Amino acid sequence: MTAPSAFASVSALVRRETSMVYDEGKEYLVEARLNPLAQAKGLDLEQYVARLAFDADERRKVIDALTINETSWFRDHSPYQAFTDSMLPPLLESRSMTRRLRIWSAACSSGQEAYSIAMLLDQHLPAGWEYEIVATDISTQMLDRVRAGRYSQVEVNRGLPATSLVRYFTRVGREWEIAERLRERITVRHMNLAAPYPALGAFDVIWLRNVLIYFDATTKADILRRMLPMLAGDGFLLLGSSETTLDMPPDLTASWRRDQIGRVPAYRRASAMTLSRTGA
Amino acid sequence: MNVLTFFDTDAGAAEAPSVDDVQAVTEDVWLSLLGEQEVLVPRLVPPGTPFDALGVWSAVASISGGWQGVVTIELADSVARPVTAHMLDIPAGTDATDSDVADAVGELVNMIGGNIKSLMPGPSALSLPSVAAGRAVFASDLVEACRVDISWRGEPVRVCIHVPH
Amino acid sequence: MRAMIIDDSRAMRSILRRIVSGLDFETSEAEHGQDALDQMNAGVVPDICLVDWNMPVMDGYTFITRVRDNPDWRDVTLMMVTTESEQRNIVRALAAGAHEYVIKPFTPDAIVDKLALLGLLQPDAVLGGGVPA
Ligand SMILES: C[S@@+](CC[C@H](N)C(=O)[O-])C[C@H]1O[C@@H](n2cnc3c(N)ncnc32)[C@H](O)[C@@H]1O
Repeated sequence: MTAPSAFASVSALVRRETSMVYDEGKEYLVEARLNPLAQAKGLDLEQYVARLAFDADERRKVIDALTINETSWFRDHSPYQAFTDSMLPPLLESRSMTRRLRIWSAACSSGQEAYSIAMLLDQHLPAGWEYEIVATDISTQMLDRVRAGRYSQVEVNRGLPATSLVRYFTRVGREWEIAERLRERITVRHMNLAAPYPALGAFDVIWLRNVLIYFDATTKADILRRMLPMLAGDGFLLLGSSETTLDMPPDLTASWRRDQIGRVPAYRRASAMTLSRTGA
Repeated sequence: MNVLTFFDTDAGAAEAPSVDDVQAVTEDVWLSLLGEQEVLVPRLVPPGTPFDALGVWSAVASISGGWQGVVTIELADSVARPVTAHMLDIPAGTDATDSDVADAVGELVNMIGGNIKSLMPGPSALSLPSVAAGRAVFASDLVEACRVDISWRGEPVRVCIHVPH
Repeated sequence: MRAMIIDDSRAMRSILRRIVSGLDFETSEAEHGQDALDQMNAGVVPDICLVDWNMPVMDGYTFITRVRDNPDWRDVTLMMVTTESEQRNIVRALAAGAHEYVIKPFTPDAIVDKLALLGLLQPDAVLGGGVPA
């Protein structure tokens, strides 16, 4: 069993570094994920937790071990459908001078989201268009995976159409490696969503999916506030299927306009849209 | 993870899958069938030890074409029966019959064999599995190229790859 | 929706049956490609076939080409579920008319995801789970 104080200190650490809320009742999870790390150092769990105070390397490993990285190709399917059917056409029209799209996968985990988007853009962007996908996450281990672009059999089995598997991947030993031409479109950056954002430029579509659920209401609101300047005036923000801006403070519900595209709610910058419509 | 495995020096240059690959493929099969609760663990076995369970099941699938080899799984009866019961969803308290076990163990070697095949030069074909109650017997023109000893619920499982001399 | 599970292993058929019947599919089973063709000729035509590759009598690849040869069965969706996992074989199966491909070993999620991809699931069937652990 984890001593309550050890659990409290781990949960405070995770909260401090990622804003993720690890409530009581998650002791078993913390224990299961940290035991191997403690064992690797030849320590028991409490000794290991004590060591974290002054060992930044081990702290990073703990963060990696405790973040929930569950993801899959074309997750939930309908956002990707909405992206190609309803978001791309207006963007292609309004960006016809620059012929360039910028997309942000803002909690990219092992990269399935970013590469799913890349596959769609590879198929749907007209010749002569460029795109960049910025993939960020707090877990350095996940970012290494995005850079490597290699996936296990179990991972490629999940939600990836077989035609895309054979078109974009090559088998390398037990793994499948994504095509170089997609990999080179992805810019990987380490980034904490709950901390000030580095200058990344504005994006046409931001995918902020299945990560807000791990934060408390204040952090959620902060993040949604800071997302506003990251999105182009006519851009789209996508959240996970259980996430919304509805339960947010009034300033946020006013700044984000909810556009229902088929079964998918897309969020748009309210003020920017009004401005452009009145021609200001 | 360190598993004791032995390369037969007689195998010479014959290409064989790596121990890591065989072990990972076997673990994937177990994980997909039985979940994360009861995983396979390494088992330290001195060189030359025969597969030492009391009741044993063995299943063989051979690969022929661009690469030649024989994939074998041997498991203790005490592993084979619960795994079978799980695969066939046999209610607790009811025993899996020998024919159930033969079917399930055959599917295990089919899954492991197919994945091993895909790691070796091809194109090759995978045979249908053949299953026996008892240890596997190998023709004298085959030599062991790779072996993984593991255990599940404390009972032994062994996966071997044999290649022609 | 009706699913026909075509695999020579009873154990594998049982695993697949539990997954798809948990998603409200009616199921039927065949031991090999010829058995499946016979049943289809006798009028048991499913919406989707889950097809193993290596089977006695008639393998899954041959089965797929036979189904695609018959215009009456144009609407039948074909999904390979097999340990054959070379890229070359996946390409062959797709070219012969398979719509999807799941590599064994798989987790129940993989089957659910692919059925959703094929548009064969009600959205709430996916969310509502019903998949055995
Ligand atoms: C469940 S995954 C979601 C992956 C993907 N967006 C999807 O929807 O499938 C959540 C990801 O959020 C990351 N994460 C957690 N806290 C974070 C933070 N404070 N800043 C950035 N990423 C964070 C985790 O490392 C993990 O990879």
